[in-house]
Amino acid sequence: MSDSIEKKPAKIVLRELQNKIAEEAWEAKKRGEKVGWCASNFPQEITTAMGIPVVYPENMGAAVGAKGGGQRMCEYAEGMGYSGDLCSYSRINFAYADLKKCEEMEIPFPDFLLCCNNICNCMIKWYENLALEMNIPLLLIDIPHLDERTCDEDRIRYIRAQFDDCIRQLEEITGKKMDLEKLKSVMEVSQRSSRAWLRAVGYMASTPSPFSGFDIFNNMAVANVGRGTIEAAEAFEQLADEYEALAAKGESTFKGEEKYRILFEGIACWAHLKYTYKALQTRGINLTATIYGPAFSFLYGNLDELMAAYAYVPNSNCFERELELRVNDALKNKVDGAIFHMNRSCKHWSGNLYEMERRFREQTGLPTIVFDGDQSDPRCFSEAQYETRVEALVEIMEENKKKEVKA
Amino acid sequence: MADVYTMGIDIGSTASKCLILKNGTDISGYAVIGAGTGTSGPKRSVEQALSNAGITINEISGITATGYGRNTFSEADWIVSELSCHAIGIHAVFPDVRTLIDIGGQDAKAIRVSTTGKLENFVMNDKCAAGTGRFLDVMARVLELDVSELAERDAMAENVVNISSTCTVFAESEVISQLSNNVNICDLVAGIHRSVAVRTAGLAKRLGIVEPVAMSGGVALNSGAARALERELGIPVRIPPLPQINGAYGAAIYAWEHRKQER
Amino acid sequence: MNALNRLKNITMNPKAELKEAVASGKKVIGIMPYFCPEELVYAAGMLPFGLWGAEMQANESKQYYPAFICSILHTTLEMGLKGELDDLSAVMIPISCDSLKGMGANWEAGVKNVPVINVAFAENRKIAAGIEFTRSQFRKIQKQIEEIAGRTVSDDEIRKAITIYNENRCAILAFSKAAATHPAEVTAADRCAAIKAGYFMDRAAHTELLNEVTAELENLPASDEGYLKIVTTGIIADAPRLLDIIDKNKMVIVDDQIAHESVNARYVIPEAEDPVLAMAERLAEIEGCSVLYDPGKKRGTQLVEMAKNAGADGILFILTKFCDPEEYDYVPVKRMTDSASIPMLQIEIDQQMTDYGQPESAIMAFAESLR
Repeated sequence: MSDSIEKKPAKIVLRELQNKIAEEAWEAKKRGEKVGWCASNFPQEITTAMGIPVVYPENMGAAVGAKGGGQRMCEYAEGMGYSGDLCSYSRINFAYADLKKCEEMEIPFPDFLLCCNNICNCMIKWYENLALEMNIPLLLIDIPHLDERTCDEDRIRYIRAQFDDCIRQLEEITGKKMDLEKLKSVMEVSQRSSRAWLRAVGYMASTPSPFSGFDIFNNMAVANVGRGTIEAAEAFEQLADEYEALAAKGESTFKGEEKYRILFEGIACWAHLKYTYKALQTRGINLTATIYGPAFSFLYGNLDELMAAYAYVPNSNCFERELELRVNDALKNKVDGAIFHMNRSCKHWSGNLYEMERRFREQTGLPTIVFDGDQSDPRCFSEAQYETRVEALVEIMEENKKKEVKA
Repeated sequence: MADVYTMGIDIGSTASKCLILKNGTDISGYAVIGAGTGTSGPKRSVEQALSNAGITINEISGITATGYGRNTFSEADWIVSELSCHAIGIHAVFPDVRTLIDIGGQDAKAIRVSTTGKLENFVMNDKCAAGTGRFLDVMARVLELDVSELAERDAMAENVVNISSTCTVFAESEVISQLSNNVNICDLVAGIHRSVAVRTAGLAKRLGIVEPVAMSGGVALNSGAARALERELGIPVRIPPLPQINGAYGAAIYAWEHRKQER
Repeated sequence: MNALNRLKNITMNPKAELKEAVASGKKVIGIMPYFCPEELVYAAGMLPFGLWGAEMQANESKQYYPAFICSILHTTLEMGLKGELDDLSAVMIPISCDSLKGMGANWEAGVKNVPVINVAFAENRKIAAGIEFTRSQFRKIQKQIEEIAGRTVSDDEIRKAITIYNENRCAILAFSKAAATHPAEVTAADRCAAIKAGYFMDRAAHTELLNEVTAELENLPASDEGYLKIVTTGIIADAPRLLDIIDKNKMVIVDDQIAHESVNARYVIPEAEDPVLAMAERLAEIEGCSVLYDPGKKRGTQLVEMAKNAGADGILFILTKFCDPEEYDYVPVKRMTDSASIPMLQIEIDQQMTDYGQPESAIMAFAESLR
């Protein structure tokens, strides 16, 4: 590898990698290859190993939200008859599917759809509608929500059968064949990426954390969808190395003094990302814990474990395990408080959020706040509400610090 | 032949509108009282409309009640939904109009009118005050303005402020924070109108817009809101001379036509 | 119509049924929507008790669910939190939608006296692996039921329960058909109450009463002259005030695609060596419900067919506020009914609603446009 590439910060490498993945999908489309729209937590091992280009409407929903197009696209979908209560990623996607253009971001149109409901069931309804509107095949891998701490044998068998089914159908649709050796190597590379990702986010436990936690929201896209490639593995290893070096020196990319450390629960408010970030950063609050840290590690040794890994994605676990993941992450990364995003778009995430907040507070003794918002629809967020709650949180965290000093 | 008078009364959530029609065509009198169902509003609107027309209730040969409180008006000969009455009313004023947008106190509706003036299809707002007259009332109060001043302020706006919140409570706090940032009130008013227009335009798009389009309801009196709606739809929107009593007008016509049939 | 009155009384006061069953020494298991394997409960000699929310204000539930979750879950949780369901020995909660996925944990946190039986089944329900997964989960649930019942449940008992449920399903459909031509004798609210009573009583007894009503109706001349024929679709449509509005506008429900009513009745469980496998196979067959995976939107096709077969004048899409599967379905279903030129009106309802002004206007206007 040449020196000039080595010198690029991992953050840039990751961004370029994300653009490259998108670019490759466009080029494949131009070449006449079949391209898919894919749910973010669909097993990427399948498509990566088969060399099938896929793009992610959820990522587009986030990007459009962040770039200010959320309201326009959501309103368009509402004009189509979609309720304003529906997931804003899906509304943005329905609008794009109908308009076939979007100034903030575009993705190539699909020849097939890959759906997986481990993150939510609304994904299924969303993709059903797309399949009908575009008259293209829909492949679903159903991963039933866990009601016990571990993924049982019945689930693994069921997921595995769908996995095999899906490969067979994809072979038919795309004309590409699954090579099991390739799958094995993709699984290995994915492990390498996951371990590097875990090592990178693990440095959030350092004081100060070597990076601004909001960066995770940007980096996780590649962690999620591109982790089966060598480039991603190398980029995450580089990221981890960079964080390690910063942590060793006690430095950080976080601007200003890290006075408080918090857990941020939920998807970012993309449409108000800057505001929600600034309101914290100017008060010396750094995000040092989020479920996206530990949860995007897909560690497995074999195919059955791979199946189980996809049942352990955020929010697919039983509540007690979900809670434990947050509490452990918060304790390990020494947070002073937590912010819970009551995300209007996400009924799944929001349905247990109050109980999650309560139990989190009980188990950690830390102050918490809940604010109303939405992942990509800017209309469900109030700056005044957010600001007031953050201020109150700071006041409590400050009091707690004083007590600590006295003690 | 003696003149035949019919009456339409539209009892809304925040206002009662009564109209007296002579021979199915001429408006003899009407009244709008700012008190809706469950108040003295309906009774007062009838009394005032009669006095404006210079006739007594005994001279009325038929009454149609419509609007939210239509079932509470015991003197009615016919009870018809406000959606049908609006279709009839707007057809009488603009016979070619195919889409009517009505923004009332708590309901916003988009109505498809057939070429013969019948209700063909419609959609109504969901259970949320955004995009209704109530939303404008709340926002006017925050700005310490009277609702009647909104149009005038809107006309002076230079840079329309984006009010994005759909929830009335959030929109209120959004407006307050803009106010504390010393944003020009006129620009804010225009932003509020735009917010209502976006919601209403969305409703109309769900119905499917067939031109020409007209607007009725109390909010149509507010030229700022009407202009904002035109901008959102990208097409001209016609306003009848008496937008607030369009439903009552349709109701009076309905009464006339049914009396005529009976003869 | 004594049988009808008896059914109406049961629906009016389900808690009395619950108390009575418990007093008689019967254990009762709460059954939340959708498609729980309640035959297993019946087979164990216990009473399955439907939990589809109630017309009430939910207050305490708001400590658990945000306001933008449907009222079925809010009001069911509210009853649980207030101790009104403490007589239940357990409650079955499936994971059919995102809001339901949160119910189990919320219930366990707030309702200490009533344990949860989680119900998972395959969304990919038509493939062999999906049917097998559903079967395996139902067998797992059977074990939990056996523990509560304090005894094992044999396949023969399950078969018997299935027969009783199948007979009940047929009885519901026959009653619905008879009611379609007798709006003068059976109002929309009566029709719903008669079907709904089955959620709170012994299914065999329900079948008997329903069949009695159906037989009486079949002996009477049709009374649907001048009525607009309506097909309803949605999750639940039991609000008495909503149903009164349908009556007032001289509409008669000629068929329904309501999850709470006929959707469940339309599919019987096939006879099979393994009765639990047969239950899973039935789940693979069901169409017409937004919470089941439906890649071709057969729901829309079925709805159009139903409306055509019944000679319906129009369709009421009764949308449960905040039910996202329904909100997603509405758009393609509307397009399908539009292209079949069948008028369809969407009415948004929720069980905490006290003001029916908007549905009243909308249904009246819809009736006016159909006449």
